[in-house]
Amino acid sequence: MITMRKFFFAVGHKTLSAINQMGAMTIMLISAFSWAFIPPLRIRNVFKQMEFVGVKSIFIVSLTGLFTGGVLAFQGYYGFRKFGGESLLGATVALSMTRELGPVLTALMVTARAGSAIAAELGTMRVTEQIDALAVMAINPVKYLVVPRIIAGILVLPVLTVIADFIGIVGGYMVGVGLLKINPGIFIAKMIDLVELSDIFNGLFKSVCFGLLLTLIGCYKGYHATGGAEGVGRAITEAVVISSISILVGDYILTSLLF
Amino acid sequence: MIKLVDLHKSFDGLKVLDGINLEIKKGEITVIIGGSGCGKSVLLKHIIGLIRPDSGHVFVDDIDITELKEKDLDKIRRRFGMLFQSAALFDSMTVGENVGFPLAEHTDLSKREIAEIVAGKLADVGLSGIEDKYPAELSGGMKKRVGLARAIAMDPEIILFDEPTTGLDPIMTTVIDELILDIQRRLHLTCVANSHDIQSTFKIANKIGMLYKGKIVEEGDPEVFRNSRNPIVQGFLKGIPEDQIIES
Repeated sequence: MITMRKFFFAVGHKTLSAINQMGAMTIMLISAFSWAFIPPLRIRNVFKQMEFVGVKSIFIVSLTGLFTGGVLAFQGYYGFRKFGGESLLGATVALSMTRELGPVLTALMVTARAGSAIAAELGTMRVTEQIDALAVMAINPVKYLVVPRIIAGILVLPVLTVIADFIGIVGGYMVGVGLLKINPGIFIAKMIDLVELSDIFNGLFKSVCFGLLLTLIGCYKGYHATGGAEGVGRAITEAVVISSISILVGDYILTSLLF
Repeated sequence: MIKLVDLHKSFDGLKVLDGINLEIKKGEITVIIGGSGCGKSVLLKHIIGLIRPDSGHVFVDDIDITELKEKDLDKIRRRFGMLFQSAALFDSMTVGENVGFPLAEHTDLSKREIAEIVAGKLADVGLSGIEDKYPAELSGGMKKRVGLARAIAMDPEIILFDEPTTGLDPIMTTVIDELILDIQRRLHLTCVANSHDIQSTFKIANKIGMLYKGKIVEEGDPEVFRNSRNPIVQGFLKGIPEDQIIES
C-alpha cells in the first residue's frame, strides 16, 4: 500500500513539475516574443547566433544528410527489388528526406551541438550571476540573451534542413546510381515526378517549429540553472533530452496535421 | 533614501527574511553582517528588485519598487551599480567591453568617448591599461576591481556590494576597502554592502545591521556594535559558534 502511494506521489509530482515547466516555458516564449519587437533590435546579436547555431552546424548536418540518404537508398533498393520497383528509389529517398528525415535529423543534430551549448552558456551565466548583472544594468536578460537565440533557431533550421535534404538526395543518388547501377535518368525523373513542392514546404515548416523548440528549451533550461557546475551539467542534459523528445513528439503531431 | 519595511521571503518553505525593517541613509555606507547563508545576498537582491518579496516593501526615495513593472524598475536600476560576489564579468567580453557595456547600451556616446570613460574608471580602481585582457586572465582581486569599475561606469547614486572582500587575501581586502571608501567619498555615493568580514566592516561602515534568522537583531554605528550586549552580536564578533553562545 505504501509502495503504491509512493508510486502515485512520484507520478503526480513529475506530472505537476512537467506542467509547471511547460507553463514557465510558454511565459518565457511570450516574453521573448513581446521583447523581440521593442528597440533596440540587436541585429548583430541575432547574426552572431545565426553563425553559431547555423553556419557552424553545416558540416555535421551535411554529414548526417549524406549518410542518411545513402542508407535510405540501400534499404529502399532491398525492398523495391522484391517486386521490381527499383525505379522508385529516387522518389522514395527524396520524399523521405524532405518530409521527414531532413527536418527531424537536422533538428536532433542541432540540438546536440547548439541546443546543449545554449543551455551551457546561459547556465554558466546564471550560476556566475552574469544574468543578474545584466538585470542590474537595466538590460532585460530575456531580450538580450533569449530573443536572438530563438530568432536564430527559427531562421537557420529551415536553411540547414534544405542543405540536409539536398545532400541526402545526393547521397541516395551516389549509392543508387553509383553502386546499385540504377538508371540515373529514371532516378531523377521519378523524383521530379513524385515529389511536390508542398512536401518540401511542409518539411520546412516542421523545421521552423523544431528551431523554435530546441532554442527555447535550451534557453529555458540554462536560464533557470541552479546549483553550480553540477546544476549546469543537469541543465544541459535536460535541455538535450527534453528537446529531442519534443522534436520527435512534435514531429508526430505535425505530420498527422500536415500530411 | 532606501527603506525596507516588514520584508518577508521564503524559498521552498524555508524562511530567509522574516520581517526585515531597515533604513539606509543617503551618502552613508551601510553594511549588513551575518553568518554565511543567513540571507544577506537575498536581502541585497531585494533592494535592486532582482528578487521580489513574499510580502513587505522596498522604498527607494519613496517609490515602492516591489510594485513596479520590469520596465519601470529598470529606470530605478539605472541609479544603481552593483558589485557581485563573483564580480560577474562577462566571460566573452574584454575588460574594456565589460566596463563600457552599460554605456554602450544606455547612452549615445561614440566608441571613442566610451573608451575614454572606461580608461578613467579603470584608473579610478587602479587598473589602467588592461582594457584588452579577458576576465579569465585576471586574478580574483583584479576581477572585483573591474567589477567595481563597471558598477561606477554610469555614475550611479547607489552602489551595492555583495561580499566585496570574500575570497581575497588580506592585502587585497585592504585595497578593496580603501577603494570603496575613496569612491564613496569622491562620488558622494550611498553604499550598501553585505559582509562577514568584521575588520573590513568596522573600517568602512557608517552603519551596521546584523541579520540573524531572518531578522535584523541589531543596528547602529560601529561603536554600538562594539559595545552591544546582544549575545548573538558578541558571539559573531568574537567568532563563537552559535551553540556555544548561550553557554559562554
